[in-house]
Amino acid sequence: MVASGPFDFDLCSRNAYLESKGVKPPRLTKTGTTIVGLIFKDGVVLGADTRSTSDTTVADKNCEKIHFIAPNIYCCGAGTAADTENVTGMVSSALELHRYATDRESRVVTAMTMLKSHLFRYQGHVSAALVLGGVDLRGPHLFTVYPHGSTDSLPYATMGSGSLNAMAVFEEGYKEGLDRMGAVKLVARAIRSGIFNDLGSGSNVDVCVITRGKVDYMRNYEYLMDKTVARETPVVYPPGTAPVLKEKRWKINSTRPSEAAAGGSAEAMDVS
Amino acid sequence: MSIFEYNGAAIIAMAGKECVAIGSDLRLGVQFQTLATDYKKVYRIHDKLYIGLAGLSTDAQTLFHRFVFKHNMYKLREERDMKPATFSQMVSSTLYEKRFGPYFVSPVIAGLDPDTSEPYLAGMDTIGAIETAKDFMVAGTAPDSLYGMCESMWRPNMEAEELFETVSQCLQSGSDRDALSGWGAVVFVITKDEVIARTLKGRMD
Amino acid sequence: MGESAYSFSLTTFSPSGKLVQIEYALTAVAGGATSLGIKATNGVVLATEKKLRSTLVDETTVRKISMLTPNIGVAYSGMGPDSRLLVRRARKQAQAYYRVYKEHIPVAQLCRETAAVMQEFTQQGGVRPFGVSLLMAGHDTHGPQLYQIDPSGSYFAWKASAIGKNMTNAKTFLEKRYSEDMELEDAVHTALLTLKEGFEGQISGSNIEVAVVGEDGKFRVLSASEVSDYLEEVE
Repeated sequence: MVASGPFDFDLCSRNAYLESKGVKPPRLTKTGTTIVGLIFKDGVVLGADTRSTSDTTVADKNCEKIHFIAPNIYCCGAGTAADTENVTGMVSSALELHRYATDRESRVVTAMTMLKSHLFRYQGHVSAALVLGGVDLRGPHLFTVYPHGSTDSLPYATMGSGSLNAMAVFEEGYKEGLDRMGAVKLVARAIRSGIFNDLGSGSNVDVCVITRGKVDYMRNYEYLMDKTVARETPVVYPPGTAPVLKEKRWKINSTRPSEAAAGGSAEAMDVS
Repeated sequence: MSIFEYNGAAIIAMAGKECVAIGSDLRLGVQFQTLATDYKKVYRIHDKLYIGLAGLSTDAQTLFHRFVFKHNMYKLREERDMKPATFSQMVSSTLYEKRFGPYFVSPVIAGLDPDTSEPYLAGMDTIGAIETAKDFMVAGTAPDSLYGMCESMWRPNMEAEELFETVSQCLQSGSDRDALSGWGAVVFVITKDEVIARTLKGRMD
Repeated sequence: MGESAYSFSLTTFSPSGKLVQIEYALTAVAGGATSLGIKATNGVVLATEKKLRSTLVDETTVRKISMLTPNIGVAYSGMGPDSRLLVRRARKQAQAYYRVYKEHIPVAQLCRETAAVMQEFTQQGGVRPFGVSLLMAGHDTHGPQLYQIDPSGSYFAWKASAIGKNMTNAKTFLEKRYSEDMELEDAVHTALLTLKEGFEGQISGSNIEVAVVGEDGKFRVLSASEVSDYLEEVE
């Protein structure tokens, strides 16, 4: 097999065959997502909700969508969760090597260019929609990166399924030269608008403030969604409720007995 | 049909107080035909680290052997076992390598931190998007009904025996509403110094 | 490569069972500027001479200690260009490890990987061994560690070691001065004293390079003025 890029296409032909036989491919974990960013007086504020979904099921109620890129650059990701995680990881790694080689702080445009060239190479199949922000020697920068590799440089930006809800808030509330407090509040309000009005977004607000020489990553800046119901009288099954047929126990790091259920003939069950 | 429904599976992992439990049903089928009723989908990596693999069984077996291989090589190189978090990152990157032609498997990882005995739980989609959880993790052909059980039955700080009963009930009641999984279950409870493996009786229809 | 006229290995056994190319490589190392490292109870220090062939060279641009990861760094003696290739490989290896495990590579692993590269160059066709020895210092869950890697690809963990021109004298000096309960600050002083012993000319903050990695796990090359301060302390 000839390796081409970071991916291995070994199973593609088998999977395509299965699909031709009417087998549906599995659903991937997406981050339906509201992600936003804006430039304020002293830097950049990034924001994200914390819901990830698998089809219409909430897969993770408190996931992290603001990814580390460099000490002065962070990136919000929407789209296929594995893609956003890995594309940001790859770029973060490449930038670290670049910093060792050049002995300079990474630039936001460098990160943006690396992201877009990777995404463009895969023609949108790596489905990551990103809001990239950071502060470098040229000041604060904010970019949106689309899955096909196009980019925008903007003073305020939103992405993901909740982008319209968030943008409505930005369009109404964004002003140039906001102070830190105002910027964080506006970002949190934009994310909340996604959380409450877009079903692909939910749970909590993560905020990351990047200023020159300092990053303030506020995980669960607003913790909105706790468990809805906590049973007053939780169901407690007394020991022995579960119908145990066999039991094996062993001390950690001792030799194991031949394993509990493996291949062993289970006690005859009542099949009447 | 989704490829996940070819063989059928139900897997739950749950965290307790300095303990974790992970269990699976025992059915192996080909669509609606049951082939075996002693087919575990939870595999041991080491005493404090187990992985459940739901999805297409052929892929699950291949992957498990790759993970064992990788873990053995790691042990030879570094003279230590992988920590649960390290292992799940390794699983994730193994799966993401096949981004455009994935293994049809969704893993659930349960383990105990070797130093702190803190429970570790994680789940993934077929291309390695990790989601970690403090409470429980499910996978299989009827994740929604497993989620439902766990959401209402899980409570914090369960001791090993309580945890066992809770996981058992969630697993069995959850898979009773799934035609493709069931036929008994196996549950591993991992504590600081002991592993308890129990086989459970279940519905056979 | 296999088809090339030069695809045989240049490092071949002599009748007496030696690999003379490796010995020549060691000679190249022994001709290089002195580097040394000391492992303390709470960290490691690396120190090296920045030997310049002319006073006209801008010494601020000469770097002999490189960071490989946030917690690991390396100093070399011997051929600068050869060291750069190893540094590049080591950095890549560290990133590759991080991409898989989301955990920083342990010092021992990075050392082994780097040593493996050096070994390959003693056996592969069409290449020559590296003309450098490395001192790799780092701090991880196993505490502070110091490794020396030689052109043959052999490596050992040391409490203190020296490579390059004055290595024999420096090692004797270190053997006398080393103590098991030495702390990082003392180790820096000892490192400077050792370097000073065999130094030709006036030692200063700008013609030597010093790096430390402490319990915070941050490998840091000291600035010229920091080194000067330390030098004043030992005087």
